[in-house]
Amino acid sequence: MKRRHFLISAASIAAGVTIMPRMAFGAEGVIDVYFTSDQNVIDFWTNVVKPKFEAAHAGITLNLVDGGDGPGVAAIGDRALAALASGTDPQADLFEGYDTRVNAGAIDKGLFVDFSAAGLSNYSKVNPLANDIPTRLAYRGSQVLLAYDTTKLDPAAVPKTWADLVTWIKANPGQFIYNRPNKGGSGGNFVRRAVLEANGKDPKKFTVDNFTPEFAEEALTPAFAILNDLAPSLFEGGAYTSGNTQSLQLLGQSAVTMIPAWSDQALSAIAQGVLPETTGLVQLQDLGLPGGFTYIAVLSNGANKDSAILLADFLLTEEIQSAVLTELGGFPGVAWDYVSADLRERFADIIPASIPTFPGGKWETALNDGWYRAVAPNVDPAS
Amino acid sequence: MTTTDAGALAPAPTQRKRPIGLLLVAAPVLLVLWLIIWPIISAVIQTLWLPTSDGGRALSVSSYEFFANDPYSRANLAITLWTTGVCAIFLLLICLPIALYLRFSNSKIAAYVQGLAIFPMFVPSIILSFAFIRVLGPNGTVDLLLNSVGLPKIKSPYLTPWGPVIGLVWDNIPLTVLILLSGLGNVSNQAIEAARDVGAGRLMLFWHIILPRISNSILVAISFAVLGIFSAFTLPYVLGPAAPEMMGPFMQRTFRDLFDPTNAITQAVITFGFCILFGLFYVRSVAKNRTP
Repeated sequence: MKRRHFLISAASIAAGVTIMPRMAFGAEGVIDVYFTSDQNVIDFWTNVVKPKFEAAHAGITLNLVDGGDGPGVAAIGDRALAALASGTDPQADLFEGYDTRVNAGAIDKGLFVDFSAAGLSNYSKVNPLANDIPTRLAYRGSQVLLAYDTTKLDPAAVPKTWADLVTWIKANPGQFIYNRPNKGGSGGNFVRRAVLEANGKDPKKFTVDNFTPEFAEEALTPAFAILNDLAPSLFEGGAYTSGNTQSLQLLGQSAVTMIPAWSDQALSAIAQGVLPETTGLVQLQDLGLPGGFTYIAVLSNGANKDSAILLADFLLTEEIQSAVLTELGGFPGVAWDYVSADLRERFADIIPASIPTFPGGKWETALNDGWYRAVAPNVDPAS
Repeated sequence: MTTTDAGALAPAPTQRKRPIGLLLVAAPVLLVLWLIIWPIISAVIQTLWLPTSDGGRALSVSSYEFFANDPYSRANLAITLWTTGVCAIFLLLICLPIALYLRFSNSKIAAYVQGLAIFPMFVPSIILSFAFIRVLGPNGTVDLLLNSVGLPKIKSPYLTPWGPVIGLVWDNIPLTVLILLSGLGNVSNQAIEAARDVGAGRLMLFWHIILPRISNSILVAISFAVLGIFSAFTLPYVLGPAAPEMMGPFMQRTFRDLFDPTNAITQAVITFGFCILFGLFYVRSVAKNRTP
């Protein structure tokens, strides 16, 4: 009998689960925000963005949901796409740290709000370098630095230019590792820096619109040659970690001496003891390692679409953009002219205004796949 | 031709004709058709019925041709086959002795060994991956222990093709041991004792008495493990080298990073083609088992 009872209750629970989503609706006046970013970003929203926005817009509240990672929120995006087709409520309004391209066909079907036509009062302030496609809105950025072990490398002898870095890596084989460019971004921006090195250190040479397969071939091939030249001197003669965290772990285990790392992640790792206090941070002075922007997307079929657009506009105000600098340790999504003058001055030394950026979109795809095909297999050019 | 000979099954009792049995089976069968068979068919169609330059769609094998002519994709398939094969061999070498020990030992320690052998089943692979880096990774626990007694460090398997092999073997031990153990249940103590009485040594016993009776279980265990390993994602992704990649991470990257569903589905169909071969082994051995 017990078994039968169990079966019946299990079946009713299963039936209940399949019916449940039909009864849930996105609540009116509650913006559902899904995050792909790490906990420190969600904390920033909880402590800064949420109270400020709710104070400025009475009657609207934010529901902050940790979506885990890119694929986690992409699944919510797929659900929203299905909801668009059936005309139902997607129960989501805004995605943080999102690439709207991941949901195949979603942009064409109009799943995401086109920010260029959404009437944002602050839209013109967005850093022109951050402009990707109009369904993505940059609201913050981060930079990649070099993190190193000061017990093994004297801070006075740290390489400060790309040429010095290459010399150092070759003189200390096995002491440097960067992660795969499509995973986590700290290694990705190291690869981008190599691309800039191979192309006259001129970030302006690359824009979202000037991608052609021929130009990519011409620009990326010498960069991959630089990286292949480094490969034998890397950890294990050319190994690449599969994420930012794994690189930090190798540095923490003293298996390597230097890694590229996100500034905010390295700082919190040091604060939490994941990295020892003897960890040093340095940025290249001839041209920094590029940074990246983090984008938001608003669903066009969300129940609170208009409130979500208000929130998107609010994120670009000087108040929030300054907080990105002071509270989050990132850098603003708007052009530096729209940050208060005293902050601009205060951060001039730590975060130079010239942090190079590299376009996403097709450039990113070409760079990542090209790296996997040309650099990762460690092919011996002589063979 | 209604004459029945002695070997045929007795006619089914009338009770069996009730449709309840069929109805009970219908739900899972329909679910399988809807959630598994249909997506497979639709995936195959999607990779063969490709968009053409003039906006229409036409029958084409170009995505398969690309895969076959692309050395990078072929290297990924090769490393997947290599990893799967090596894992299968190691699983057999490790799990068969454990299963034999558990079957024939009466000691108290056997219970602990069994618990230890089943333990990996309860460890999520992402936790296993990071634990692996801590223990077997560079300057990990093993290195520290070796160092403390003055021995040189090991050459870490982390970020080499051996990383996923070690992780996947560890992860698949419980299932393999359990299946082999159930197969060893078919080996009767009397048969063993009889063979011993006529002077069979341990090896003879294993080769002539035990192995023929569990060959089916070995086939089932290996095909189960192989099916899981072939499409593994987390362990090869975290522990393996950047290139060549196993098919799991390769498919995911093609789909999510390169936004290229057609090639990702092509890779999936090819992976499925290999898996179905191992699946056939399993189905065949189950069917063989059923025949009286």
